[in-house]
Amino acid sequence: MSPMMTIAKREFRSYFDSPLAYVVICLTFLLLGLAVFWVGGFWKVDRASVHLLFQYMPVALAMLIVPVVTMRSMAEEKRSGTLEMLITLPVKDSDVILGKYFGALGLVLILVLATALYPLAMFWAPWNLGPLDMGPVFSGYVGLVLFSCTAVAIGLLISSLTDSQAVAFFITFFVLVVLWFIGSAAEHVDKEWLANALMYVSFQSRLDGFSRGLIDTRDVIFFLSAMVLALVMAFRALERRRWV
Amino acid sequence: MTSDVMISASGLTKQFGSNRALDNVTFDVTRGEVVGFLGPNGAGKSTTMRVLTCFLAPTAGTATVHGFDVFEDPLAVRRSLGYLPQRAPLYSDMSVQEYLLFAAQVRGMDESTFKSRLSKVIEVCGLAQTLTKQIAHLSHGYRQRVGLGQALIHDPPILILDEPTSDLDPNEKAEVLRYIKDIGENRTILLSTHNLAEVEDSCARAIIVSKGRVVADGALDEIRSTTGRVRYVVAVDEKVAEGSHKPPSARELQGALDALKGVRGSKELPTDEKAHRFELSGAQDSDLRAELYRLMVQKGWTLLELRRDAQSLDAVFRELTRGDEELDRGRPVIDDDEDDDDSAENSDDKE
Ligand SMILES: Nc1ncnc2c1ncn2[C@@H]1O[C@H](COP(=O)(O)OP(=O)(O)OP(=O)(O)O)[C@@H](O)[C@H]1O
Ligand SMILES: [Mg+2]
Repeated sequence: MSPMMTIAKREFRSYFDSPLAYVVICLTFLLLGLAVFWVGGFWKVDRASVHLLFQYMPVALAMLIVPVVTMRSMAEEKRSGTLEMLITLPVKDSDVILGKYFGALGLVLILVLATALYPLAMFWAPWNLGPLDMGPVFSGYVGLVLFSCTAVAIGLLISSLTDSQAVAFFITFFVLVVLWFIGSAAEHVDKEWLANALMYVSFQSRLDGFSRGLIDTRDVIFFLSAMVLALVMAFRALERRRWV
Repeated sequence: MTSDVMISASGLTKQFGSNRALDNVTFDVTRGEVVGFLGPNGAGKSTTMRVLTCFLAPTAGTATVHGFDVFEDPLAVRRSLGYLPQRAPLYSDMSVQEYLLFAAQVRGMDESTFKSRLSKVIEVCGLAQTLTKQIAHLSHGYRQRVGLGQALIHDPPILILDEPTSDLDPNEKAEVLRYIKDIGENRTILLSTHNLAEVEDSCARAIIVSKGRVVADGALDEIRSTTGRVRYVVAVDEKVAEGSHKPPSARELQGALDALKGVRGSKELPTDEKAHRFELSGAQDSDLRAELYRLMVQKGWTLLELRRDAQSLDAVFRELTRGDEELDRGRPVIDDDEDDDDSAENSDDKE
């Protein structure tokens, strides 16, 4: 096993050594269930409820899951000094960043994919609402996975800029929420170039197509490049430590 | 550079903002050496070790470990090292065995090697009963043992240990020092400590740093003699003298001692009612014992004790790092040769 995978595995397992992972998983399912079935109407579950799922899940990711999962990645290592132990093992700085990244991403993706239980329950068993058009569901999940990859990278970057978990949590929360809702602000600005720019970086407008069954390469590239950018910056932040 | 130089630091300087933590630190450590790295708090020991383990980059200067440059080949440097950082920071959510396995896996060790190394590490570090415990629940000393185990797991040719024994109980301390001495035969070990007795036990050589500078580097005997003085302790009976001679008063004795050639200073030591005791210091390469004996015979005094020893490492350490000490206490730095009162006394019971 490569050093990176060893780090990723340790990172992933460590989530389950604390109640944190369980709390986040339960809370997500509870809130998401409430949102989908209550807002959508429990007895009126239909195709619209799947759409609701794709509307609320990214918000849950941005406001709860990703900030909680990534807040300690690097911040806690720095605060407790374990970073010194980790970095002085024969690992590259990039192994550390990617290991941490995949460890956190693993947990988030499991959560994302587990939400597929909702549409499965509705259209297969026990509700059996009949055949579902799998296209939008599939593309919706592609969008969610891409969004998770980017959001986790951003969370990791922020965690590597501070040594306080709480600070990392709030800044990640803030940044992701702003990037999510910034598209709605576009309606209220009159300068067209500004509105376009806001729409361009808005995660919400980027994800919109996916949930309607459209996988646009431009959106895919947008998410992937944002992810790479955040990872490279996190790597630089770790490297800079040596030069304090 | 010969292939036997395992650690080489040259001109290392590290600047933290306006604070110069290291100032032109230069030294070499060769294969088979166990070197004690000494210095007061904040002298720069940990900083030097962090540079050598590629955790920090120096502001100026270079270092090589096992022939690899810390800038150019940090991975090769770390592969040949076992490092125990100060206070042994460990993942508290893992069990001891998981942690050691993690360290071994990151180093790419295969399972059978790990098993055989693990049993050795368990024996040396005394971890048999704690293997399945979670690190968060360990006492401080046990954490340090795990940290040490982690540094030894791959049996590295070079060990850099930052205060490896600071929290250990005397039994484990002795075991660890014995092991260090054992493996030190064909490995290279740099260990920092505040315990000078430990250095005398396990190291043949010491490097003393103070305020980021190397102030002494050499074999222990050499370092002991760096202050260039030898200490004598003389005790003379204050009641009984030979034949018609009168026993000396303290002043008389001190006068006679000071008058001897080669005596640089004398100081009365506390004693019982029976004897006057004085401590003398003399030049490094002289021997005053014969002179002292003749003086006693000539005056007919009764010599009860005569001892000569090099200055203790303790005293040398204190002398070399006095600047630090004075600054810490907020006193002006005075260049004065005549103190070390208590350290001189401590060393009385040594030899
Ligand atoms: N990360 C850092 N940022 C700023 N200054 C630092 C940093 N690390 C160390 N220093 C400073 O560098 C100097 C040397 O510190 P270092 O930790 O190397 O001392 P030390 O010899 O290990 O002391 P001790 O015996 O207390 O462990 C100190 O003045 C310290 O304040
Ligand atoms: Mg230190």
